[in-house]
Amino acid sequence: MNWKWLVVLPALAVAPTLTQPASAQAPGGDTQKLLQRIDELEQKMKIFERKRELDVEAARDATKTATSISEGTSGFAVRSADTNFVIKVRGYVQTDARFFPGDRNTGAVNDTFLLRRVRPIIEGTVYDTFDYRLMLDFGQNLASGSSAANQGQIQDAYVTAKLYPEFQIQVGKFKEPVGLERLQSGANLLFIERGFPTQLAPNRDVGIQVQGDLWNSRLSYQAGIFNGVADGGSGDADTADTDKDIAARLFAHPFKDSDSDALRGLGFGVSGTVGNHNTATRTYTTPGQQRFFSYTAGTASAGQHQRVSPQGYYYYGPFGVLGEYVISSQKVRNAAATRRLTHTAWQLATSYFLTLEDNSFKPIAPRANFTLGGPGWGAVELTARVGQLDVDNDAFPTFASTATSASEATSWGVGANWHLNRNVKLSLDYERTVFEGGTSAYLINGEHAILSRVQFSF
Amino acid sequence: MKFRHLLQSALTLLLAASTATAKDIKLLNVSYDPTRELYQEFNTAFAKHWQAKTGDKVTVQQSHGGSGKQARSVIDGLEADVVTLALAYDVDAIAQKGRLLPADWQKRLPQNSAPYTSTIVFLVRKGNPKGIKDWSDLVKPGIGIIPANPKTSGAARWAYLAAWGYALKQNNGDEARAKEFVAKFYKNVPVFDTGARGATTTFIQRGIGDVLVGWENEAFLALKEQAKGGYQLVVPSVSILAEPPVAVVDKVVKRRGTAAVAKGYLDYLYSDEGQEIAARNYYRPRSATVAAKFADKFPKLQLFTIDELFGGWQKATKTHFADGGTFDQIQRK
Repeated sequence: MNWKWLVVLPALAVAPTLTQPASAQAPGGDTQKLLQRIDELEQKMKIFERKRELDVEAARDATKTATSISEGTSGFAVRSADTNFVIKVRGYVQTDARFFPGDRNTGAVNDTFLLRRVRPIIEGTVYDTFDYRLMLDFGQNLASGSSAANQGQIQDAYVTAKLYPEFQIQVGKFKEPVGLERLQSGANLLFIERGFPTQLAPNRDVGIQVQGDLWNSRLSYQAGIFNGVADGGSGDADTADTDKDIAARLFAHPFKDSDSDALRGLGFGVSGTVGNHNTATRTYTTPGQQRFFSYTAGTASAGQHQRVSPQGYYYYGPFGVLGEYVISSQKVRNAAATRRLTHTAWQLATSYFLTLEDNSFKPIAPRANFTLGGPGWGAVELTARVGQLDVDNDAFPTFASTATSASEATSWGVGANWHLNRNVKLSLDYERTVFEGGTSAYLINGEHAILSRVQFSF
Repeated sequence: MKFRHLLQSALTLLLAASTATAKDIKLLNVSYDPTRELYQEFNTAFAKHWQAKTGDKVTVQQSHGGSGKQARSVIDGLEADVVTLALAYDVDAIAQKGRLLPADWQKRLPQNSAPYTSTIVFLVRKGNPKGIKDWSDLVKPGIGIIPANPKTSGAARWAYLAAWGYALKQNNGDEARAKEFVAKFYKNVPVFDTGARGATTTFIQRGIGDVLVGWENEAFLALKEQAKGGYQLVVPSVSILAEPPVAVVDKVVKRRGTAAVAKGYLDYLYSDEGQEIAARNYYRPRSATVAAKFADKFPKLQLFTIDELFGGWQKATKTHFADGGTFDQIQRK
């Protein structure tokens, strides 16, 4: 703007001269020079302003083509200007404490602090269409002792081609689409440990899956072919047999677009697997992660394995309830016999946000984050559940011993979750488990478990 | 078997229905700065032509910007079905760096895939107060020249080479004298725009400089739109024959299933109607018939080609516009 004054002031100074009629006075030599000078100054001012204009345009263009970096509650993200390429660095750490009051006189050594999950996550998108995810876990087996026993594991390693919302292809290692609670992130559970049905559902496996959302996500489907894993197990390769598992799931939200708040949060479905296994069998544990059933040495799966799981949830305002039932039927074999065993498990878990956040299967955000000395309290959630795992009675005594295994475990528990913000969550649970069919002191007395967790995720 | 029969019947019906139904097709033409008006008119004519020929409805979207920047966008993923750029070099870059079309793309259409031509002329203020008649007048002290930046603009590269070519011809091919001349030329440039349309804005809307050096079609358009604005065209004694090329982006049209319509679009530029639209928008038509019809519209001047004086775009770019090339050397002085 100062340039304008440089032009205007000299112009005003000579104005009386310039306003004389041409006939009265033609511009003299000095006036001519002055006019020329004004023209030059005006040009300079225009050039200056245009350069500034171009600088602003260049800066705006640079912003459009610049890679953006963001850091927030969902981790660290780098995006290309056209958003076709994204890489996010995320992760979560869970530090747990497990205490089992009442079993001191049994000699059990199970009270411990532990790093339950230590999971860095790298995920993103390339060429807009391909999503990828790599999640490692350095918290596996830490309960067994020092970090020397730690075995870093690949939990997720897959790529998803998002061809259409209705049809996508996912390849790599990821969760088989079976258990409802299993499909919920480990950072987003109602209770510190998952319930009994997850023990019978497969965990992560390597394979290829097609998936999609139909009718505006009112129905979703997944169907895939995998190596096949034992109940609750994960795998990176199949070296035991050449057979593969087929896993599929259909899940509906029929009232997703309804005007009724009371109906929108209803979801239900069914999933299952079928395949042939010749692998080692797994043990079953309580919500306190203590073993209550194991097959006798030399017992392995030997033939067809089928699972079916009806499942559903319902969320309405701060209230939520989740239920699932799993039937796992497989042939097992040892030196003495071959037999088909059918185990079942179910659970019903409910929660309520005292701070009135909208409950959801997905992560929730507190209405007001907790601030020390401030008005925000975060989100406070009360939880309760009941569940059971029923082992086929035909397992005894050929494939399992009552001295170390129970034929049924029933548990109930209550808990509280305090979401200080989207990144920090504190949890405290009490679970009581009683057993049928076992003869050891632990199985007769049952289990009282107090579990707590401090979770940091980003 | 009954189910299979039903399925086959359904598929046959579906196929028949799909082939009998007219399609809505979208094309993206990624072009350079001053072709907005040309392609607005051409797209309407082509859509009409294509619908009459095939029954399909075509909507052509346009994207405009500095030619080099546009090529970069296509390489980076902008899904252009066709490119209509200012320089063959920019299409070469799409072929070489993006691998989106074959290296010999220029041979696929007549006249080196340039359906129309243009040249570089001057636009001066009314009455031509600085008495500019030819290139030699531009390097006099006190002349404000407005070209775009050769680093980013196709028009500016043509202008740079036109000035260089003039100096070569005046000095019996002496490159050093030509460099000296062009250095003086750019010394008189007060502000650089990134594209040809921006340079026009600088000269006309912002009132900066004494002479706009740029596309002939852009100068004519400015005269038409600023009829009372007080500008006049100055045609230099010699200039360069600019051949803006067009090409189908093979990989994109294959992926999008638009190969036939994209080819039809470019072919139509060579039709009588396409050539007339080009001429009406001040691009010199290739067709002799149409050129004769619009002969009085385009001034006659001596034109040289880039191949004659500079050995083609690859060589010219390496010598003059690459980092550390003569343009950078001139700018550093």
